[in-house]
Amino acid sequence: MVTILLLILGFFAGCLGALTGIGGGVLLTPILALHFGIPIREAIGTSLVAVITTSAASSSVHLQRHTTDIRLGMTLELATALGAGVMAYLVGYFNRTVLEGLFAGFLLYSSIMILSKGGKVKPEDDSSPAVNGDLVIPPYEPKRYPLGLGASLFAGALSGLLGIGGGPIKVPVMFIFMGVPLMVATATSNFMIGVTAAASAMVYYRRGDILVEVAAPLAVGVFLGSLLGARLAPRIHTRIVVYLLVGVMLYLAGRLSLHLLQGVL
Amino acid sequence: MSQLREPAFDRAVALVLRVGAFGCFFVMLAGLMDGLFMTGRIPLDIERAGVLLMIATPVVRVIVACFLFFREKDYKYGWISLGVLIILTLGALFGIGEH
Repeated sequence: MVTILLLILGFFAGCLGALTGIGGGVLLTPILALHFGIPIREAIGTSLVAVITTSAASSSVHLQRHTTDIRLGMTLELATALGAGVMAYLVGYFNRTVLEGLFAGFLLYSSIMILSKGGKVKPEDDSSPAVNGDLVIPPYEPKRYPLGLGASLFAGALSGLLGIGGGPIKVPVMFIFMGVPLMVATATSNFMIGVTAAASAMVYYRRGDILVEVAAPLAVGVFLGSLLGARLAPRIHTRIVVYLLVGVMLYLAGRLSLHLLQGVL
Repeated sequence: MSQLREPAFDRAVALVLRVGAFGCFFVMLAGLMDGLFMTGRIPLDIERAGVLLMIATPVVRVIVACFLFFREKDYKYGWISLGVLIILTLGALFGIGEH
C-alpha cells in the first residue's frame, strides 16, 4: 500500500513540477522524511532519482525545440557536477538535525522569494515569441563565464546537499549576468540538472542512501505526472497552482522545524 | 555567435534522454508489477536496475555529447565534456566503501 501512496505522491510532485517549474525534489524530500518516516539523508538521496527523471523527461522536450545551449550547459556542468559530488560526499558527515534545519530554511527562503515575486515563477511565459510555431531566439554570446561557473558550483553544492535541482540559482545567473535569453537559460538549467543530480546520486547510492523500493514508485509517478503536467501547462492558470505549492512548502517548513525542535528537546 | 541551432546534435542528445527516461519507466514499472505478485528479491532487483539506469542516463548523455563534439572536431567542448565525465567518474569511485 505504501507503494501506491508513493506512486500518487510522485505523480502529484511531477505534475506540479511540470506546471510550475518548481521541481519535485523540494516537496518530495520533506514529505518522505515527515510522512514516510524516512531519515532525511535517505529522503534526499531517494528524491534525487525523481529529480533526474524530471530532468531527463523535460529536457528531451526542450532539446527538440532547440532551446537548449548544450555547449554552455556542458561548460557549467563542470562546476555543478564538482559542487554536487563533493557536497554529496560531505553530507555523509552531517547529522540529521543539520540537514533538517537547512532544508526547513531553504523551504522558507524559497517560499518568501516566490511570494515576493507575486507568484511568478516562469517569467518566460509572458514573452515567448513564436513565429510560424518556430521559436525565435535572438543571437547571443554567453559572457562572464567565471561568475557563471562560480554560481554553478554553488547551485551544484546545494543540489548535492538537499537533493534539489538548483534552477532558481542558475536561471537568473545565466539570464541576468551571462546575457543568455531567458528561454534558453531555463532549458539549459533543466538540462544541467540531470548530470548534477547524477553526480550526487552516485555518491548517495554508494553510501546506501537511496532506497530503491521507495525511489522506483516515486520515479514512475513523477514520470507520468510530468507528462500530464506538460500537457496541462498551457491550459491552467499557473499562479493559483504556485500559491498552493507555496502553502504546501510553508506547511512542510513548519512541520520540519517542529520535528527538529522535538529532536532537540 | 549564438551557440544554438544544431538540430542533429540536439536530436541525438534528446534521444538518449528519452530512451533513458522511457526505458527506466518501463523497467521500474515491471519491478512494481512484479512486486504485486511475488515477494522477495526479484522485484527489488528489477527496481534497482531501473534506478541505476536512471542515474546512468545523464552520464550516457555526457558520453554521447563528448563523442559528437570530437567527431565535429569541436575539441574545446570535447575536452570540456571529457572533464565532466572525469568528475562524474571520480564521484562514483570516491563513494565506494564509504560508511
